Amino acid sequence: MEGLVALLLRYGTWIASIAIGCGLALAVFDSRLGTHVATAGIALFILLPSLRVLLMLVVFVRERDYRFAAIAALVLTIILVGIFLGKDTRRS
Amino acid sequence: MDNGFALWLFAVSVGTSALGGMLGMAGGIFIVPILTIFGHLDFHVAAGASLVSVIACSCGSAAPFLNQRLTNVRLAIVLETATTLGALTGVLLAGAVPVSFLYFLFGAIMFLSAKQMFAKRKDPLLKKNSVAISGLGLDSSYPDRGLGCEVAYRVERVPMGMMLMYGAGLISALLGIGSGVLKIPAMDTALRLPIKVSSATSNFMIGVTAAASAGAYFMRGDIVTAIAGPVALGSVVGAIAGARILIVVSNRKLRLAFVVILIALGIQMLLAAFGVQVIRSAA
Repeated sequence: MEGLVALLLRYGTWIASIAIGCGLALAVFDSRLGTHVATAGIALFILLPSLRVLLMLVVFVRERDYRFAAIAALVLTIILVGIFLGKDTRRS
Repeated sequence: MDNGFALWLFAVSVGTSALGGMLGMAGGIFIVPILTIFGHLDFHVAAGASLVSVIACSCGSAAPFLNQRLTNVRLAIVLETATTLGALTGVLLAGAVPVSFLYFLFGAIMFLSAKQMFAKRKDPLLKKNSVAISGLGLDSSYPDRGLGCEVAYRVERVPMGMMLMYGAGLISALLGIGSGVLKIPAMDTALRLPIKVSSATSNFMIGVTAAASAGAYFMRGDIVTAIAGPVALGSVVGAIAGARILIVVSNRKLRLAFVVILIALGIQMLLAAFGVQVIRSAA
């Protein structure tokens, strides 16, 4: 499990950082496009820990460790609730 | 996008994250004060950018700890139920609490961190007769390079640890920091983990905790790409650089510098809480 999680986090960080870097560089020439790419990178960073929890959930299920699978599912649910809370209290 | 301001944000993040990284903690605690006091940004926007940087630092530095088996992933996921719930509470409160109170709380947390820099952390003594409280199989062992052997440890007082973690998640979401200030006592004092395991596991959990509130901040529109982008990128670069510089500078001088900056910024945050603005906006 540790190895898989380490791989996910390492490559996720690289991809998100490269997206933000390219986006910011692009923004110098084309503000709209650059901002979109950089925003995608930021969104990936925010999603990365949730993907990590999802990966752990899958591994726990495959190991038939249902107690820990339930705990991982709970953490994932709490994060999702947070996203919806933010959506409902959006400032305009 | 203002290129000059983006460059300034990038440079500030490299600096704070390198300084934090050299001491093995996230530089997040410096980002919000600098962005609000010197950058004159809205508190929530500064906290949003800082949260992304906290996630970036946590994810970026997790791999080596995981590969050395220092991170207790089972314990992490159990404690994350408490930290994410705390973060959820923080997200709900962040909109309702007056900003001046957030500045005050931030200043107080900075002083607490400064005090903690002087406290010595000790590895717990291995106790043979302590009763295992959890049937969750959280106890584990890690390979200690210094001792050259496998060290077994037991996780104690999980309920108390969970309560402290809830508080850490709450503070993290309110202020946009990793809140190691609360996690370290929770790990060391309540759960009695070996320092290496405690540091690795806490660093691992910070990402998920920050993600729970960053998701809400993002949907709320408080994460501004022009601000958060340079800050996140700078933090990753700074964290890598910090780990390299570590060997050159003496730990004592570094700690002192850290404490001086903490106190200076902490005073500024307290002044801001009471409406005193020392540094006037140039714009």
